[in-house]
Amino acid sequence: MTERPATFRARWNGLQLGGSGATTHGFTTDLTSILDSVEVPIVVVRRDLTVAAFNQAAEDALGLCLPDIGQRPRDISAFAGSAGLEESCTEVITRGVESRIDVRADAAWFVVRISPSTSASDHVAAVVLTFTDVTAFRAAVDQAIYERECTKAILNTVADPLVVVDADQRAQSGNRSFYTMFGVSPDQWRRTSLYELGNRAFDCAPLRTQLQAAVAALSLEQLRDLRGGGHGFRPVEVDHVVTAKGERTFIVDSRPLSFPGHTERRALVRFHDITARKQAQAAKDMRSEEELRRSEAFLAEGQRLSSTGSFSWKVATDAITWSEQLYRIYEIDIGVPVTLDALRARVHPDDLGLLENVFQQAGHGANDLEWQYRLLMPDRSIKFLHAVAHATRGQDGQLEYLAAVQDVTGRRVSEEALAKARSKLANVARVTSLGVLTASIAHEINQPLSGIITNASTCLRMLDTNPPNLTGARETARRTIRDGIRGSDVITRLRAVFSREEYTLEPLDLNDVTREVIALTLSDLHRNRVALQSDLAEDLPTITGDRVQLQQVILNLLRNASDAMADVHDRRRQLVVTTERDEDDQVRLRVRDTGVGVDPENLNNLLEAFYTTKSDGMGLGLSISRSIIERHHGRLWADSNDGPGTTFSFSIPSRPTASLTQPR
Amino acid sequence: MTGRPSLVSVVDDDESVRESLPDLLRQWGFAAEAFSSAEAFLASEVLGETSCLLLDIVMPGMSGPDLQQELTRQRRKIPIVFITGHREMSRSPLLVDGSAAGCLVKPFSEAALFDAVSAALRWQILDP
Repeated sequence: MTERPATFRARWNGLQLGGSGATTHGFTTDLTSILDSVEVPIVVVRRDLTVAAFNQAAEDALGLCLPDIGQRPRDISAFAGSAGLEESCTEVITRGVESRIDVRADAAWFVVRISPSTSASDHVAAVVLTFTDVTAFRAAVDQAIYERECTKAILNTVADPLVVVDADQRAQSGNRSFYTMFGVSPDQWRRTSLYELGNRAFDCAPLRTQLQAAVAALSLEQLRDLRGGGHGFRPVEVDHVVTAKGERTFIVDSRPLSFPGHTERRALVRFHDITARKQAQAAKDMRSEEELRRSEAFLAEGQRLSSTGSFSWKVATDAITWSEQLYRIYEIDIGVPVTLDALRARVHPDDLGLLENVFQQAGHGANDLEWQYRLLMPDRSIKFLHAVAHATRGQDGQLEYLAAVQDVTGRRVSEEALAKARSKLANVARVTSLGVLTASIAHEINQPLSGIITNASTCLRMLDTNPPNLTGARETARRTIRDGIRGSDVITRLRAVFSREEYTLEPLDLNDVTREVIALTLSDLHRNRVALQSDLAEDLPTITGDRVQLQQVILNLLRNASDAMADVHDRRRQLVVTTERDEDDQVRLRVRDTGVGVDPENLNNLLEAFYTTKSDGMGLGLSISRSIIERHHGRLWADSNDGPGTTFSFSIPSRPTASLTQPR
Repeated sequence: MTGRPSLVSVVDDDESVRESLPDLLRQWGFAAEAFSSAEAFLASEVLGETSCLLLDIVMPGMSGPDLQQELTRQRRKIPIVFITGHREMSRSPLLVDGSAAGCLVKPFSEAALFDAVSAALRWQILDP
């Protein structure tokens, strides 16, 4: 620092500022001291564009040195990058008007003010260059520009349109999505009202009011309120917005913007595109709604068709929920709250105890319950219900029963009706057999009666001759007695068949039983021109059974066989009745016809009730026959013959059986 | 009733009828023969000599009406009195169309039989 004054002098010595009276030594010293104390570099350039002087700051900041005095700026290394500096100086010298120019010196940027310094002759003798360092400012600006570009890039990747609107809700700037979504260019739509977008879809009162409030919020409190917690602005859903990408649905949200030092209010508006979400939701809703509706419909229909209702019962609270079908079964208006008491009120008094028992079991937590009970309806009719319940634990851990209740009244009634019809029809079948048999019976009885009358007449005539033909009379009298016994036998057999209602078990010889039936039906068979051949085994073991019932079966088989051959004209109507000892000590009877036969696939149906191949039959005979044989622990079946016709067989155990199976 | 007595043939599958009827007919002075089937009657030597036929309707094999048709086919004009144990058959169109001389329903009285046979024989005489 000690040599500094000398340096000052040396740097300012070349400067001869045209004849100023103030250039006393002391003053000059003071002036240069002042100039050197200024931190802003100052350089004086003469009219001939040579450097005349510079201050300490110029030396420090620009790197000027004493040898640079008298040099032209372009020859000074510190100004190598400052093209145009000389030209600007020349212009100022020529025109006498101050100007500014940006200059780079090394890594630093300066704004150079070039001021003219006029002499007494009023022409510019020199220019004073004052260097203001703007390096930091320029860096800040560059940084700001960079940051803005980054922000813009980020915003442009945001799928939702974003736009900043001014106080009049006019678009100021938006992200790329905003422009592409609404099919507008930044230039076109700058300063255009937000409400004109999307075919004016956003021009609605909730948006207008709120956006105006957002941009008009002046007080800090209002701003805080609008910006904080999302309570300030209630997002508005806008439907049917016509955009460049088709019709869309947006949720429009906004927050006010404020900038320090800027009085103008702006607001950021966000358009949240929920079209896809809504469509997906709508599709899902529709699907699940449809599925739910379908499954509900299925369930309801299923319940209706099966006459099955369902209910849930929360044991702890006695809360009961019923399905519609259950209401229908109980004949209670759908939706009326159901209580256990109301439920009990419908139950048949005789079944209340049973129901209490079920409730008790449920109370003890039984897993599965099944019970049948009756309802006594207001019109005194009775419904039979079959219920099944299963215990579950609800989400709250409470015991809950899910139950299905089926109205089995129809089934029960038809079962009873069927049972009644069966016994009735069995009777009918017997009576029908009776009716058909009446002719046979009459024939059977008239046959011997006829013989008796004729023989008795002959006997009388023989006795009346002279001399009486005693030999002939005796013979005819014997025949009369024989025919009388024959008639009596018929009566005995008929009584055996028709006089008893109860079933009687007795040891039977199946051959005897068969012969009796054959005797009864023979005339019937003859009438139908059926040739009967009986082939009865000699060594049949005794069976235990009901004579009348077994005779009914055999009678039925013979009649069927005869009927099956009614349309046969091209071959013998041959009927073969066979008895034989089967394996396992079974006794078997077979009735073989040469009739029209039965389709093999219908063979099994034949034994079912109401199945018949005859136009005038009821199809009951074989069904009843089968049940009779089954009651004798036996089996009845049908086979197609190798030749024409069918063979019906039954077999019965010969072991004594204690009892008959009770009829169903 | 001179010379040989009229032959009355009985065709019935019922043995008691075959046994009892011919004896009674003979008591009245007729000649009588019994056959157990229509086939046996057709095959017999007395077919051409029979003046009256007592014919069972229902028989195994060839029935009474079958035999009647066969006789018509052979142009044998034998008056027929049907016999049946089935009352409803006496009203059968086959029997009341005039081709039969009568029908007896078992059991029938001696008088009814005599009337029927007499009528049949008369009917034969009157028939040209």
